[in-house]
Amino acid sequence: MRGFGSTLGLYRPGRGCLYRTPPSVKAAASLACAVAVVAWRSPTTTAGVLVLALGALVIGARLSPLRILRMLLPAAPVLGILALYQGIGQGWLRAFTVVGGITACLLAARALTLTTPTQVLLDGMVRLAGPFRAVGADPERFALTLSVMLRSIPYLAGLFVGVREAARARGLERDPRVAVTPLVIGAVAYAHRTGEALAARGLGDDDRDGHDGRHDGHGHLGRRAAGSGIGRDRDPDGP
Amino acid sequence: MIEFRGAAVRTDDDDARVLLHPLTLTLRERRVSVIGANGSGKSTLLRLINGLLVPSEGAVAVFGEDTRTAGRAVRRAVGFVFTDPLSQLVMPTGREDVELSLRARRLPATERRARADGVLRRFGLEHLADRSIYDLSGGERQILALAVVLAVEPRILVADEPTTLLDLRNDARIRSLIAGLDQQVVFTTHNLDFALESDRTLVVDDGRVVFDGVPADAVARYRDLASAVRDGRR
Repeated sequence: MRGFGSTLGLYRPGRGCLYRTPPSVKAAASLACAVAVVAWRSPTTTAGVLVLALGALVIGARLSPLRILRMLLPAAPVLGILALYQGIGQGWLRAFTVVGGITACLLAARALTLTTPTQVLLDGMVRLAGPFRAVGADPERFALTLSVMLRSIPYLAGLFVGVREAARARGLERDPRVAVTPLVIGAVAYAHRTGEALAARGLGDDDRDGHDGRHDGHGHLGRRAAGSGIGRDRDPDGP
Repeated sequence: MIEFRGAAVRTDDDDARVLLHPLTLTLRERRVSVIGANGSGKSTLLRLINGLLVPSEGAVAVFGEDTRTAGRAVRRAVGFVFTDPLSQLVMPTGREDVELSLRARRLPATERRARADGVLRRFGLEHLADRSIYDLSGGERQILALAVVLAVEPRILVADEPTTLLDLRNDARIRSLIAGLDQQVVFTTHNLDFALESDRTLVVDDGRVVFDGVPADAVARYRDLASAVRDGRR
């Protein structure tokens, strides 16, 4: 879990100029990397963006090349398969362009999330979604949703590793159902727990239901919870 | 003040199983404990207090506010601590999670950060503020879970088995922390010594509150229930 936490998007305090760079600049640079890779699909562009992203992490965030490699490790199987597919089908230069481009985008996005506290990202997203308030959107809720999604990626990756290890311990690693079923159940349970934790803290409560704190009376999680027998689920021991 | 007015909880599937039979009582004491066997309905009772569950019949009111019609106001007044702190903490680090709690207050970012630091200092967690929640010990996580809930200064704290996953030392830390709180605290526990520290104890069995009174008598009643099961009388 820890490894995935540092690989797939969580903030790690540190020093370096990237930590002092405004998040909007880092987000724009990350977006520019993606646009460049997609708009000018060439080995030169990919190489340039890759060097920039690596440079940002090594110089701007003071990460060692080994740590950057470790960050990419979970994505390596997918990138490897893609590289093989592209290389055999369309040539190795093309494979470098595609896979190198994806890697550069991953690193650029990681440079943003690694060096920006989640709350600062949330504030940025709230500002970004601010104009949509006019059409009834709730920017706070939008930002909260995105941050919970970001937080879920490492959890689910860790869950996958745990499930695979448990299957291996029982000698069942070749049965895909043994890996997939607990993963799906675990993911749903995690979503349920997270929703409940947010509801218990009053996060995501609708502001539009009046400044006196009243809402329409139809129950948020409470009604759903009663219906699905959540009293049982959350008691570690049963009903 | 928490009022249960004939509050009952049933599943709404075909068999409509009763999780909590109609309950009428008022909780005014500073420390209220709820004890009972696994699956007896303790957590269901607790969840009714901050509106995580709404009763299938009857009502629950906190300071006069009905949890069904004023859920938001109730949740602002009642903080809820889960058994497993990892179910509670949704941000990567402690500081960020405390800040997340404070977002509900719509404070400016600088004030929010300053308050978060203050909360972490108050709970002796400032040195762990930027550490991943997965790098904390079970006790540190549970204290952090308490801190993120208390950051918004609820008037009531509801804690569902807050010491169940802890070793003896951390169990003592959490109990002493809870003892020092100004808030009214309602908690479930399997630790009967912890229950004895409260002002009033409810014993829940099979979805019913079968005893409500002085902790020492409640613990005795609970032991009787357990003995009856052991001896095959129930």
